[in-house]
Amino acid sequence: MSRISARTRNEWITAYSFLLPNIIGLLIFVFIPILYAFYVSLHDWNALSPKVFSGLDNYKVLLKDDLWWASVRKTLLFSVIYVPLLYVLAIISALLMNALRGKVVGPVRTMFLMPFAITSVISAIIGMFMLDPRNGIINHLLGLAGIGHQQFLGSTAQAMPSIIGVILWINIGYNMIIFLSAMKEIPRDYYEAAYIDGAAGWQSFLSITFPLLKETSTFILIVTTIGSFQALDQILVMTKGGPANATEVSVLYVFKQGFELLNMGYASALAFVLFLIIFCLSIIQLKFLSLKK
Amino acid sequence: MKLNNRIVLPTVGILFGLLMIFPIYMLVISSLRSETDVFSFSLLPVQMQIGNFKAAWLDSGLPRTILNSLIVSITVTVVAMVFHAMSGYALARFRFPGKTYVFAWMLSTLMVPFAVIMIPLYLITKNLGLANSYAGLIIPSIFNAYGIFLFRQFYVTFPKELEEAGYMEGLSLSGTFFRLAFPLSVPIIVPLTIGFFLANWNAYLWPLIITQDEKLWVVQQQLAHLVGGGYYTPWNIVLAAAVIAAIPTFILFFVSQRYLVEGIKMSGIK
Repeated sequence: MSRISARTRNEWITAYSFLLPNIIGLLIFVFIPILYAFYVSLHDWNALSPKVFSGLDNYKVLLKDDLWWASVRKTLLFSVIYVPLLYVLAIISALLMNALRGKVVGPVRTMFLMPFAITSVISAIIGMFMLDPRNGIINHLLGLAGIGHQQFLGSTAQAMPSIIGVILWINIGYNMIIFLSAMKEIPRDYYEAAYIDGAAGWQSFLSITFPLLKETSTFILIVTTIGSFQALDQILVMTKGGPANATEVSVLYVFKQGFELLNMGYASALAFVLFLIIFCLSIIQLKFLSLKK
Repeated sequence: MKLNNRIVLPTVGILFGLLMIFPIYMLVISSLRSETDVFSFSLLPVQMQIGNFKAAWLDSGLPRTILNSLIVSITVTVVAMVFHAMSGYALARFRFPGKTYVFAWMLSTLMVPFAVIMIPLYLITKNLGLANSYAGLIIPSIFNAYGIFLFRQFYVTFPKELEEAGYMEGLSLSGTFFRLAFPLSVPIIVPLTIGFFLANWNAYLWPLIITQDEKLWVVQQQLAHLVGGGYYTPWNIVLAAAVIAAIPTFILFFVSQRYLVEGIKMSGIK
């Protein structure tokens, strides 16, 4: 110890004292919960009764729980619709913004970004209001086009797309900004060179812009996919999983098992499996996207 | 092609932009209508009812829940800025054993989605005696590797001369941080403050889980309760309440849009 100078030791101590609050906080509120979820999942525990060790029983029940697997399918359905749509709409928005010049740039960017300042709950309220089956403005507009009234959130087929629409609406702006800033970094000469070679518009997008957005695309696709497994706020407000479980995604099923039925052991097993699914999917996605040139 | 770039694309862009704000326009305009007109198919308020806002403020449980949201959002943001700046600075500047491991471990917590840990997080917070309290609303929301990471990136590019100046002045290592580096970190603190405040103002799920006592409800819970609480609230009042609850975020949005955009760009850098 004596060979370490006072200054070096002082630096170690200061460094760890600066890190300590976050180390403790992340340990207690992020890291331990994952381990604790696994521990609790090995118990039969209905919050009101004492914990009883039950080994892998919860996982055996889970394998045969049709409602759980139905919720996994709904989650995948949500992701498969939501992620590509968000990706495409964000890129299109960024391209449109990138084509703007002059005084309109600021106001139009504000219009794209404003929904980002709307909270999840308020977006859900606006969605419920505009999609009202009897009097909502969307039904009024459909009426003008000669299409009859739709049930939207009251229909098992339309509830999920309606919720996806609301969540898309508040998230396009954020992703558009990320794409736009990546597009702005592409040197102009690239486009000029391509233009001389006869590539313009759509062709220059395919041969220059799109390939150079690869890293940004990977980032956005992974973040969006992970996020899509967690969408819960709007669903809780708009449908609570209904009608007839049509919007009961996995996180909602975990929420109900834990906080409504108080099956803490079982809910923890579900949460742990969900964690593994999300973890594997992000690894696969990362591999797949970095292999694909 | 030229025509496309000059006229068609900008026009489509502006129309798309208008479509994006249309729901917000409908929210505001409908919040000014009477209960019978609220669903009118019109782009105007029909009959202005400013009184909706008074009714929403007085009868919809807003003052208390907005105050709670302010207390929680501001406290989380302020504490998070100090803690995350300290950790980011330590990771960027100090040499100490285990540095790479600590950093990698902190980043790995980003892989853990909140919705997945909500049950164990609730159980742990409850065991710590924090359920149903301001502390339970605030403390678990503070810790976030994202903030640490972005502060670290900022301090990595921070001029070294500053620390040397601090050393010459006889300041300790922590003195140099708190007196010199932290006050000069405004370019990172501003966008992160906006981001943290917005995220916590938006929070609905965690408050829903951790509070039973209505006195602790945050404004998002109150709004959700107004539309789905089992009793009837007229739509014009619900919308007026939503407009009132959106005011702090919209003020922040318009005052600081430039920084918000900067913050979003930063979050997009891997």
